[in-house]
Amino acid sequence: MDFSIRAANLDDCKDIARMITVSRHVCACSRAHLEQDGFSKNPFFHGIIAEVPEQHRTKEGHTKIGYALYFYTYSSWKGRAVYMEDLYVMPEFRGKGIGKALMSKVAQLGLAAGCNQLDFTVLEWNKSSLDFYLSQGCFDVTADLGYHCMRCEGEALQHLAQP
Amino acid sequence: MNFKIRAAKKDDSKDISRLIMELAVYEKMPDRVMISYKELERDGFSSNPFFQCLVAEVPEENKSKEGHTIVGYALYFYTYSTWKGPSVFLEDLYVMPDFRGQGIGKSLMSKVAQVGKEKQCVRLQLLMRDWNTPSLDFYVAKGAQDLTASEGWHFLRFDGEALDKLANEASID
Repeated sequence: MDFSIRAANLDDCKDIARMITVSRHVCACSRAHLEQDGFSKNPFFHGIIAEVPEQHRTKEGHTKIGYALYFYTYSSWKGRAVYMEDLYVMPEFRGKGIGKALMSKVAQLGLAAGCNQLDFTVLEWNKSSLDFYLSQGCFDVTADLGYHCMRCEGEALQHLAQP
Repeated sequence: MNFKIRAAKKDDSKDISRLIMELAVYEKMPDRVMISYKELERDGFSSNPFFQCLVAEVPEENKSKEGHTIVGYALYFYTYSTWKGPSVFLEDLYVMPDFRGQGIGKSLMSKVAQVGKEKQCVRLQLLMRDWNTPSLDFYVAKGAQDLTASEGWHFLRFDGEALDKLANEASID
């Protein structure tokens, strides 16, 4: 099936929000937040969209059927890096190389920006995704080097921010 | 002991680089440090920096035996969660051994959290080595959750040849 990958623009936020909401079975993701956070002067993230031609649109009429969100990070050891926050393809469009194409595009954009690493997180029970990523050549920093993901939020973060 | 926490300036890059190497030695991986103060200058102090940095400074009379007054740093950057919005990632936090136990580490971390809060960040995240019990305990005592232990999150990475290969498979615009 024909598809194209391109940079996301402000108008795509509606479709990105739709796909985020559907993929997570949670209450609606805010399109307004995506517009504000991704398309202002100093965006927190960048996006790419996978699109199919009209004749392959979904029964609801959507042609934007996958996306990846990423942002630039930094390693004090290796320098510039890119983090892929989300990678998603609508179920009926899977198995056609679209997910792989989105991930490759993030890697290409990262290299063009001078990055040496492409990082992301996966849940350990998500075996099919883990196996896919490992087969593409990445390594498991948690399993191999013992790094744990730590988070402070809510009251703990408020408390931490007290001088 | 008197100390102050302030935003790093470009001139601090050599000191930050020195402290990065000390931290890498502590993490038992000094041979993994590939960047020097020059990359820090280029990437941290332009109009669109890849990272932000705070340094902890002591007065001249308390300088280290090698003559350093910059005795700690915190290096961080802004990230994004499509679940929750802007977040801050603490890449490095380090205080020279002779200056520990004075609240400098806690002050650096609080300042990062404060700066993040001003930017509407809802999370502060970091990676921690599982053998680093003193640091793990420090963060958990401050209210951090270990998402790897509790939810099974793993951090994955493409670098080197694997990254080049992945990028080569992308379509050209």
